[in-house]
Order: sequence, then structure tokens, then C-alpha cells
Amino acid sequence: MDAIVIQDVSKHFRKSTVQRHHTTFKTELIRWVRRERRPQPQNFIQSLNGVTLRIPQGSTTGLIGRNGAGKSTLLKLISGIYSPTSGKVEVNGRISALLDLGAGFHPDFSGRENILINGIILGMSRSEIRARMQTIIDFSELRDFIDEPVRTYSSGMYMRLAFSVATHVDPDILLIDEILAVGDEHFSRKSRAKMNEFKSRGKTIVLVTHDLNTVQTWCDFAAWIDGGRIRSVGNPKDIVDQYKQAVELGEAQPASPPPANAPAPTGLGSPEPAFEVKSPPSDANGRMALQLRHVQLLDHRGREAKTLNPNDGLEVIADFETGEDLTDVGFSIRIASSDGVHVYGTSSFAEPIELPKPLPRSGTLRFTIERLGLAQGTYSIEIGAQTRAGITYDSASALSFCIASSSQETGMVMLPHHWLVVHRDRSTSHVQPMTAP
Amino acid sequence: MLRNLRELYQYRALLWSLTLRELKARYRGSVLGFLWTFLNPTLLMVAYALVFGVFMKNETKNYVFFLFIGLLPWTFFSSSVGMGASAISDRRDLLTKVRFPPQVLPATVILTNLCNYLLSLPLMFALGIYFGTLPSWHIVAYPLILAIQILFTLALVYFVSAVNVAFRDLQHILSNILTFWFFVTPVLYAASSIPPRFREVIMLVNPMAAVMISYQAVFYDHRLPPAGPLILVAVESVVFLWLAALVFDHRREDFAELV
Repeated sequence: MDAIVIQDVSKHFRKSTVQRHHTTFKTELIRWVRRERRPQPQNFIQSLNGVTLRIPQGSTTGLIGRNGAGKSTLLKLISGIYSPTSGKVEVNGRISALLDLGAGFHPDFSGRENILINGIILGMSRSEIRARMQTIIDFSELRDFIDEPVRTYSSGMYMRLAFSVATHVDPDILLIDEILAVGDEHFSRKSRAKMNEFKSRGKTIVLVTHDLNTVQTWCDFAAWIDGGRIRSVGNPKDIVDQYKQAVELGEAQPASPPPANAPAPTGLGSPEPAFEVKSPPSDANGRMALQLRHVQLLDHRGREAKTLNPNDGLEVIADFETGEDLTDVGFSIRIASSDGVHVYGTSSFAEPIELPKPLPRSGTLRFTIERLGLAQGTYSIEIGAQTRAGITYDSASALSFCIASSSQETGMVMLPHHWLVVHRDRSTSHVQPMTAP
Repeated sequence: MLRNLRELYQYRALLWSLTLRELKARYRGSVLGFLWTFLNPTLLMVAYALVFGVFMKNETKNYVFFLFIGLLPWTFFSSSVGMGASAISDRRDLLTKVRFPPQVLPATVILTNLCNYLLSLPLMFALGIYFGTLPSWHIVAYPLILAIQILFTLALVYFVSAVNVAFRDLQHILSNILTFWFFVTPVLYAASSIPPRFREVIMLVNPMAAVMISYQAVFYDHRLPPAGPLILVAVESVVFLWLAALVFDHRREDFAELV
């Protein structure tokens, strides 16, 4: 059963409301006196355009996309704050929207009084709030401050209180707009635990976020919204990859027409085929034309690489198999830090490297890094096989390694370097390079 | 209209909480706090008593009491309409973040002002006792008159709050209209002092006039209110509420976008 069904939904905003905020009698009167017509319908901003999406019950779905792509509008349509210009939004279950925290908070009222009013606004009954009051206060960790007026709170305390109320509403469907990073490290961990509890209790969660790592680790599905349309829906890993790729290419709109052999979308949603640009090509049996298997990371001694020194090398080894003779194929490597920052990426097209044509039906790819030169931390490596146009055949990413170093250098990379002090009176020939003891 | 009112009933907890909050917030932080609810009309009463009881002697008996019978419900009406105009357009913080029926907001304004009015009633009775008039059994008609006034106020506030979202000038125009309205409603004077050829017109086009003379009949003249005008106002109010609810429900989808 689907918790949320979005059927071909479009949303327009009148442009005049954006430009002049609202019309007044004066402007209406002037228009009437001058016998001008009302603004023509092209004065509309199309925020969403034919979005179709089904979100199954109990799933966690991440919505990603650039600013202004229409993600928040979509959440507001689901929550019922906006109504669609055309199309239909169907919601099964009690909904709680964490779109902006602290709706209806009054600065002069105490935390306790605001819990009551905010809870009622969010749809709880008075008795429900009374029953949960202590839990909410405990969760917010405001202790003695709870009876102080909210205007005296720090912004962190304010957010903690608001978040505590919002998550204790006990909805069936939770809509979250970019608010998981509430409070300090400790509270942020606690709120994530709360979200995980929601998840394990089989609640449906829809999340708008720019934190791609969260989407990858936490969501069951991801939907990429671009220019008011669903660009693609599916496995978070794939969608995030496509999105990152697109951002790197700096493309704003779907550039190329879809490949003729685009398969029917599987799983949830039935986006228009035009947005399945990046679907993997498959052979007649529905299998992918190229498959990567047994991908591993090895250090210079040929052992599995787990913890490495900044000066160590690394080898990525991947066996591949193709179902047919492939000529339009290349391999790519991406390294990202644990917080999702892109550290390095290359591909055989990018350098370019000539690969055997056609590629052997079965073989092994060895990608050797002589010296990593990365600073301390955890990194993930991703390997993929693509066509020249960027359509992914297959990719593997769950590979990670650690860099441990005893030096105190900072940053992301360890640049190869040496230090030198030159004595002004003497010629450089007498100077000894300074090395670590 | 029925769906609109049913939703209002479903969300009565929210309505009541918002009202309590408004009532508490108004004097929060002031030294005298809730006492201001009584103090405000008292000071108003003293001012009127001074002007119309001492400076401008009026031949009406117990004029200050007479004045207050009409002035208190008029204040309820005019502040409801005045504040109600921006009830939707000023609550961007709520409308764009949470889903709830927007008619709760204008209804909150009316309920808040109603509470303030009811709290000032003991003052009116005290004034009556001071002038030696105890309320008679005719007071049974009072809840009905009040109900009709609330119905009419609700209709008007629904209408102006919905229209004000798109035409912000309305709230400014409205304050002028309300001043004019006050003087064509028998609050400062008895309806009998209006020249007969105007009286008919005013009673017909101004629903508040019939409401006011009904209050005055019950408390000042100790008789039942005239049935004809009151029934007319009741019917007008229901029809107006039906129309206003239509306008309101037609516009409500746009509120979140326009505020």
C-alpha cells in the first residue's frame, strides 16, 4: 500500500505575487481605468510540472535537487499547505510536517506553554500533549529553562524545543525539510536516533535534504527533482551518483534525448521516460551489458587495504564481464571523504586512456595509485563503468579505507613537500634539507 | 457553510488554545496583567461619563448606562472586524507551515473579542445597579441577540479576512468605514432620535442597528426586543454567512501562497 500517491501534479504560482507581492485596489483601479486586461497566463511561474510519484508505506524517501528545483513545493503539496494547480495528491495517514520548526511559538510564553500550543497546531489533542509533556521536556534537555519565556532562549534551545514537540506528534507520515542538523553534536545524534526509531516503527518518511550522504545511508528510495520535474527515481545510490555527475557537469536541464533502449522504470514511481536519461543499458535478458564483480582494494603488499599510511599506494581491482562486444565503454574512479566531499575523480574518457576495443568479454581492471597523499580520515572509493555519454553500466561503491598518520598536518591532502632554511650569507650548497627525525 | 462550521468545530481545541493565547499574550509582561481586561473599559467609561454626563448634559435618563449597553457590544463588533481583516494575512507563520482550516484564524479573533466583551459585562451590570436599575426577566432574550450579533460578525469577518489577503487596502478602508458605521448605528443616541424618514432606511440596511436597539430594549427599557427587525437581521446574517463562507472557501486554497 502506498502512503502517498502523487498523480501528474503541477503547481503554478502567479508571477505578480512574486514581483509585487499582492495587488491593491489602486493598481486594480488603474488597470480598470486604463481598460487594460488582466495579466496573461504566461505570467506564471511553473514550480512543478507533471510530477508523478508513489511513496510506499514504511519507506524513507529522499528528495534531492538543486535550490529552486521544487522540492519544498512538493513537500508543501503533500502536507496540504498548497493545493495542486492540476493533478492529484493522495495521502493515507496522519501527517506531520517538519517544514519549519516552531510554528506558532510565542516569544513571551514559557517553553511549557509553547509546547501545548505548538502541539495543538501540529495536530495533537490536549490530553495527548499532557501525557507526553514530560517526555518532550526531557528530550529537549531544557530542564529549568522550560518555564522561562522562549524569547530568552538561545537559537539552539529554541530549535531543540521545537524539534522535540514536532517529533512527538507520532504521525504516520513524517515530512522533513532540511532540519536534521539541529543543535550541537550530542543533540543532533539524538535526533538522528529518534528518526531511526520512526523508521524502525514502520513510519513513512519523506526527506528533503542537500546532505547526499544522509540520502545514501538512510533512505530506501531517492527522487531527483530538477526544474520542477522528476528527473529520476530509484535506488538512492544510483540517484545520488547521477545527481553528483550532473552537478559536476554543471548541467541545469536534461541535455540529451533519452536513449532508445531505456528500460521501463522499475520499483516506485513511473516518471516519464524522458527523465530516465541515465538508465543502465541492458541486454536482451534484462541483465546489464557489463557487470563488475569482486571489486577489492589492495595495498602495495597485495593484502586487503584497510588502514594505510599517507605515503602508501593503493590498487583497485575489479573483475568485469560483458554480455556482448562493447566498444563504447570506459571506467571511472571516484574517491570521497567520509562527509561526502569529492576528493578525486577520473575516468578513462577524462584522461583519456585508450582501452582495448572491443573490451574483453571477461577480464580484470587494475587501477594503481602510486602514492595516496591523503590526510587522516576515512575515504570511500567508487568504481564504475560507463558509456561515453555517461550512462552507467555498473558501479560498486561500498569500498572504504582509512588513512592513519602520526603527523599533525591538516587539510584533506598530504602534498609531497620538503622544508628548507637558507642562510643569507652562505651559498645554498651548504644547506641541509630538513627532515623529520 | 455547514462544512466550514463543522471543520471549525473539529478544530475547537486549536481555536480555544489560540484564543487563550491571545488573551494571555495581550497583557503578558505588564504589571497589572489580566486586570487590564477590566481596567480598559472602566477608564473608557469614566471618560464617557465625564464628557456626556458632566460636560454635555444629555436629557436621556442614566445616559452613561444607556451608552454602555450599546458601546460594549459595538466595541466587540468593531474590534473583531478591524482585527479580523488581517487575521489571515498576518499569520504567514502559521499558514505556510502547518495544515489546518484557515477559518480558525478569523474565528479566533471573534472569540478573543467575545471573551473580552463578556468579561466587561459585570462592569455594565455594576453601572446599572449604581443607577438603580436591576436587570429584569427580559434578559432571557439577551443570548439570542448576542448569538445573532456573533453570526453577523462571523460572516463579515470571514468576508473581509478572505478579501484582505489579495487586497491589502481593505484593512485601511475598513477602519474608516467602521467609524462611519459607528455614527449611523444607535449607540450614542436612541433610535427614536433619528428622523423617521431615515430610521426606516437605517434599520433596513444596517443590521447592527437592530442588534443595538435590541440590547437597549432588554437592559434599558426592560422590554422584549422588537421581533421584526431582529428576525430580519437573523435571516440576513445566515444568508450573509452562507455567502461569506462561499467566498472564504473559494479563496482558501490561495491563502498559503498569497500571505
